[in-house]
Amino acid sequence: MVLLYLGLGTLFGFVLSRSGAADYDFIQGMFLFTNFQLYGIIGSAVAITAPSLYLLKRYGKTLTGKPLVIELKPGHRGNVVGGILFGIGWSITGMCPGPILVNIGEGKVYALAALAGSLVGAGVFGVSYPRLQGIMRLPVLARGTGDG
Amino acid sequence: MLILHQTQAIHWALAGLGISFVTITLLAVANRRLGVSTGFEDLCSLVLDAPYFKRSAVTSGRPWRLPLLGGLLIGGVLSAVLGGGWSPTWDLGMFDTDIGWGNGGKVIWMFAGGLFIGFGTRLAGGCTSGHGIFGLSNLELPSLVTTVSFMGAGVVTTNLLYRVIL
Repeated sequence: MVLLYLGLGTLFGFVLSRSGAADYDFIQGMFLFTNFQLYGIIGSAVAITAPSLYLLKRYGKTLTGKPLVIELKPGHRGNVVGGILFGIGWSITGMCPGPILVNIGEGKVYALAALAGSLVGAGVFGVSYPRLQGIMRLPVLARGTGDG
Repeated sequence: MLILHQTQAIHWALAGLGISFVTITLLAVANRRLGVSTGFEDLCSLVLDAPYFKRSAVTSGRPWRLPLLGGLLIGGVLSAVLGGGWSPTWDLGMFDTDIGWGNGGKVIWMFAGGLFIGFGTRLAGGCTSGHGIFGLSNLELPSLVTTVSFMGAGVVTTNLLYRVIL
């Protein structure tokens, strides 16, 4: 199975790299509304995934016959606040989490700094979870904000 | 044109198809919902022992999340190698032409942006893949709320930087 995950990650990374999804200029073009590419990528990915997902859920099993389990993400104030913070970070770096790794792979040295910042940011979040729980209405610690 | 080797980008529909294939295969074969940002927590959990990083949702994901992250890295290497060769680069497109900071400035800029990404995605419970691709495809309301929030903040931030400040 490890090889499957590695293979899917590689295909995902290659597509992100060659499509502009891991490219600083394409990301700024999306936010400036001067480049349609990223809207096309995300839109078509959702348009193809949604019906496939619907059919798979109706079938109700994985290809190996196990019952299909999709844990839904919880709703909380962090969706808005965290979303806004992430959007600022996506604009600053031109990278979302997957493309940070893709950019490092491509040889873009500065992406290492983006990864370091992301790990520190995620670390600070995890450590301060009990303090954020009340104000952000987050689920119990064992469940977390949603696994993405 | 991509910054990488000034290559022509592939058609967006082909990219959408590829991402869908990865998403559906991950679910249909391995029963996993696509997501990248929790992988940051996996990496944190290797060195931090706060209770949050000890929860089973994080530690039980390691066997699949870490190989997926490794694959993303390999995908980038492969893309560079096949597109004209791999070499370290500091090229940053319109950041170079419009802002023009040197390498040290880029490191500080990227680290600061990374803090927002790491903290923000984990607070939101997902990123572009977990909320934007999987969550929206599965018609989940929190994912729509999150996606609208990060797209809106990105539009505001980039427009502030490139159309107001510069």
